[in-house]
Amino acid sequence: MDINATLIAQAVVMIVFVAICWRYIYPPILSVMQEREKKISDGLEAAKKADDSLEEAKLAFDKELNKAKEDAAEILEKANARASKIVSDASSKADLEAEKIMASASIAVENETNKAKEELRQQMSEIIIDTTQKILGEEISKEKHEEILKKAAEEL
Amino acid sequence: MASELTTESYISHHLTNLTCGKTPDGWTCNPYKVDEMGFWTFHVDSLFWSIFLGGIFVLLFKTAMSKKTNVDTPPKGLQNFVEMSIEFVEDNVQSLFGSSKNPLIAPLALTVFVWILLMNLMDLVPVDFLPVLAGHLAYAIVGEGHEWIKGPESLYFKVVPTTDPNITLGMALGVFILTIYYSITVKGPKAFIAELTLHPFGKWLIPVNFILEMVNFIAKPISLGLRLFGNLYAGEMIFILIALMLFFSSIPVGVMGFGLHLVWALFHILIVALQAFIFMALTIAYLAMAHETEEH
Repeated sequence: MDINATLIAQAVVMIVFVAICWRYIYPPILSVMQEREKKISDGLEAAKKADDSLEEAKLAFDKELNKAKEDAAEILEKANARASKIVSDASSKADLEAEKIMASASIAVENETNKAKEELRQQMSEIIIDTTQKILGEEISKEKHEEILKKAAEEL
Repeated sequence: MASELTTESYISHHLTNLTCGKTPDGWTCNPYKVDEMGFWTFHVDSLFWSIFLGGIFVLLFKTAMSKKTNVDTPPKGLQNFVEMSIEFVEDNVQSLFGSSKNPLIAPLALTVFVWILLMNLMDLVPVDFLPVLAGHLAYAIVGEGHEWIKGPESLYFKVVPTTDPNITLGMALGVFILTIYYSITVKGPKAFIAELTLHPFGKWLIPVNFILEMVNFIAKPISLGLRLFGNLYAGEMIFILIALMLFFSSIPVGVMGFGLHLVWALFHILIVALQAFIFMALTIAYLAMAHETEEH
């Protein structure tokens, strides 16, 4: 238990070990630790950024989607309106056409009727004249004939 | 020697170092000539374990990090332990040393802490195991008829370096030298001398100041070394006394000794770690004081 040269030897040994630790052991370990720390914090920051941008992208996506939906609805509405317009146009046109056809048909019928009536009248007046001639036995002059015919036609 | 084994000889055997030194007849490790040795004497066992454990420290921390270790490999196993120790030391240096960071302090603190921890842990190896092993080895190697190794028991071999005041005071001396070095280089020689002479009574009582400050200055490393030595020496002593209960008493006392040994070993784990930590913390604190430049 005496104090002797062991003390000095131990002090020297200690300085040697501290020097070894200081030069060769401590710095590489510490640098790895610090680098890793930095990398982790960078990674966390990047993750946060990615999260943020994801959020942004989601918002943009939602906005686009809503807009697209609105557009689609608008287009659909327009298309519906147009379709109904086309249908109504077509039906009104068809109505018109039908009316027109009906009108022209009725005019034609009337004309035909009138024509038939005219013809009938003509024939009838001829028959009547013939008959009358026969009854009367005398030839009515051409002028008289025309006159009577006219009168009969007017009366009819 | 085995036949004359007594309580007294058992204890003193455990408390004696394997000592080699210079006698008038030259260098020898003969324990019967220890009295003739002067200052140039070495406790070979203490130094052996001290260097061996220091080497284990270096190896442990070097292998944990050397192979293919980079930022991208996740730390595991030994590397985790090593990084934990470094983080612990960094935290302590940060809290005690503050902002003015000297790149030597943290490696110094780490070395001191792990090294002393390893040396203290040798205390948990059963007290007889390594000395008896070394004695038998030495006896087997040198054989019979050696000048002083007359049997396995004649070799003194202390296993715990921190129970040797030379080792603890040697480390305190290392810290002391660094303290003086940084006091002079950081504060400047003038401020350092002023600190030692102009307080606490001003310039008219310089001799008194000097004596007071010197006591204060020298007491630090001595208390640093003796605190560690005292704690570990007492712990070792109790292990030896408990071991005595096993071999020199009746069976019931021996059985009790087993229980006591377990309890003391568990408690000693605390002391082992605590003393290593205290030595480290005080080393950092003393060096921090050496860096303080402001007047007090």
